[in-house]
Amino acid sequence: IVMRESWEIAKDRQMLTPGRGSALQNPRQRLLEQAQELYSRARDHTFQAKAAEEAARLLKVQQELTMSEGQAVFINSSVSDTIRTLITIGNQQRAQRIRSDFKVPEKRWYFLKIAALAATRDFEALEKF
Amino acid sequence: MAQMANLDNATIDLNALRDHARKELVAALESLDGKKVFILDPKLSGPLALIAQTSLLKEHGVENLYHLSGDPIQSDLRNVIYLVRPQMKLMKMIADQIRHDTQVKIQRQYSIYFTPRRTIVCEKVLEDEGVFADVVMHEYPLDLIPFDEDILSLEMETAYKDAMVDGDRSSLYYVARALTKLQAVFGVIPNVKGKGKGAVAVFDMMKRMRREQLGALPPYSGPPEIDMLILLDRQVDMVTPMCTQLTYEGLIDEFMNIHNGAVEVDPTVMGAVPSQRKMKVPLNSSDKLFRELRDLNFGIVGQVLRQKAEAIKADYTEVRTTDRQAQSVSDLKEFVKKLNVLPEMTRHTNIAQHLTATYTTKPAFLSRLHMEQTLVEGRSLDVTLEYIEDLIQKQEPLTSVLRLLCLFSLTNNGLLKKNFDHIRRELLHSYGFEHVFTLNNLEKAGLFIKQEGKSNWALIKRNLRLTVDDVDDANPNDIAYTYSGYAPISIRLVQQALKTGWRPIDDTLRLLPGPWFEKKQASIMNPGMPAEGGLDTTPLDHSGVHLADGRRSLILVVFIGGVTFAEISALRFLSAQEGVKTDFIVATTKLITGSSLLQTLIEDPS
Repeated sequence: IVMRESWEIAKDRQMLTPGRGSALQNPRQRLLEQAQELYSRARDHTFQAKAAEEAARLLKVQQELTMSEGQAVFINSSVSDTIRTLITIGNQQRAQRIRSDFKVPEKRWYFLKIAALAATRDFEALEKF
Repeated sequence: MAQMANLDNATIDLNALRDHARKELVAALESLDGKKVFILDPKLSGPLALIAQTSLLKEHGVENLYHLSGDPIQSDLRNVIYLVRPQMKLMKMIADQIRHDTQVKIQRQYSIYFTPRRTIVCEKVLEDEGVFADVVMHEYPLDLIPFDEDILSLEMETAYKDAMVDGDRSSLYYVARALTKLQAVFGVIPNVKGKGKGAVAVFDMMKRMRREQLGALPPYSGPPEIDMLILLDRQVDMVTPMCTQLTYEGLIDEFMNIHNGAVEVDPTVMGAVPSQRKMKVPLNSSDKLFRELRDLNFGIVGQVLRQKAEAIKADYTEVRTTDRQAQSVSDLKEFVKKLNVLPEMTRHTNIAQHLTATYTTKPAFLSRLHMEQTLVEGRSLDVTLEYIEDLIQKQEPLTSVLRLLCLFSLTNNGLLKKNFDHIRRELLHSYGFEHVFTLNNLEKAGLFIKQEGKSNWALIKRNLRLTVDDVDDANPNDIAYTYSGYAPISIRLVQQALKTGWRPIDDTLRLLPGPWFEKKQASIMNPGMPAEGGLDTTPLDHSGVHLADGRRSLILVVFIGGVTFAEISALRFLSAQEGVKTDFIVATTKLITGSSLLQTLIEDPS
């Protein structure tokens, strides 16, 4: 069983890394879904399966954002980074949606918001807190 | 190039080691006639600078010296020598360079020197790349490099990860080979103690190598120069590197990173004109003031520097006020001699001030220290966990967050499932999902795990007296001064080995990871003798080393997987204690901080 698990992890690793930074994101999407599959089949890897699922979901959102915002800054950044970027460029609504989609705890949300507003020197919005 | 450490005062002849490495380097360079291009693995240039100056390379025909990169070789010379670690990605670069030459029809001779040894994987890569037939392969066994008069390092930064995560034992093999070589030069070490899986494996390999007479060096005759060998697997004590070192040298390494016995600083720190180029400041025992300061708790370094400055000032006033007629030239000479220390004074005042202003007085640093102390003492866990959660959510640098997290896990035997999953999720959300692999590495190494069963940290802490309440940093009476109140487990084990041997602390050793042993090695290395009799090891029944002639004994402590400067300071402190007639030499796979060690476990997607 241990052998199988480690084989799967190794395979995941191979699958996840080549996609990084490449322009073709769709194969990566599929690989992440496969990874999730494999993880959920292995025992004791529910956490990793969930992570792979979230990673795939995040990638999809980021692809949409890249299109809609016309900026290629989202892909390969983390959930927190994505939220922070969105607040920085003034898209509060979208940031809120990611917050609820990914169940971001309140404390982290406020840390990110403060950091983003401070970075853009949006003191008015900071005051309103 | 940084100034090399002076090894003349070392307790054993480390110059011999350096000379040996230098000689083999020359032999490598001379393997191709005439002028040549020397292409170096960038990771090796630092360590190599501790062996040889560039002038030596020039003397032996090196016209161009390059770092290995993917770019074509910029030279008309026909002879090319590579010196590289056996890594696949380096092989690909070499292949690119050779193929480029073939394309533009330049004919050259290529020699590759692998250090510490060539591997089948590398040969395979060269074969696949189609350049196998173009190269001649050799080995350059760069083993233990003398970093200072009491520090030797193999400079293998991934040794810990290789063994703990990838199950790759080659670094253990290199340690064993280097120690076998050391025994061939300085004699077979009669007493050997070891703790941890790696330690046992290294000693087994050493025994086998002796049997096979590996190294082909002439057998050593005469009494052994080293009396005891203590092998410690880093895994035995991971708590210590996770804590912030509080000695002068340790703190410099924590904040400014010491590489190959030197630190690179911004010129403005040293009071020079601002410039893009960083200044390289050598830090070794050749600097007499540094020798005095390096092992002190940073809290008193400022004080010591001030005292020294005041002494010089007093001397100066004396010279100025005494009657000129009464002053002899030799008085003046005496005074000027004292002034020689001024450049070092300036240097260390600058560094100490930089550390104070930029780091050690900041609230973030102080609260971190407080958290570390809380964890080591095993108090109020909720507060520390919340503090770590905050760090993650604020996206503080990943290594520094993981250090505290690992310290939490190590002292609590893991995290409750609920917390474990929550923290892991927050980490992935903050730093990216690719760190699923980082988490996996940490779990494999046992550094960040789910709690299963109670922690025996409290027991270990009490038995080894790891926390000392009233340690006076200015006049310390215990090694705990190196971490302002925490004594490193690793050095407590050495201390115990010295005092009574390990038998009386069997119960405590059992609580720490890995098996342990105390053995004796037959001291005569006789190649003519049948393997069995002379080489067999017997359990050691008495404790330490007893020397009849009043000579100081010498103990070689080997840290497999890395050692921190603060631990080395603690050993130096031990040997300076009254009644302790022991000197220490430290050998390791790499000089580390908790951050540099964890960095090797972080999965970098790029």
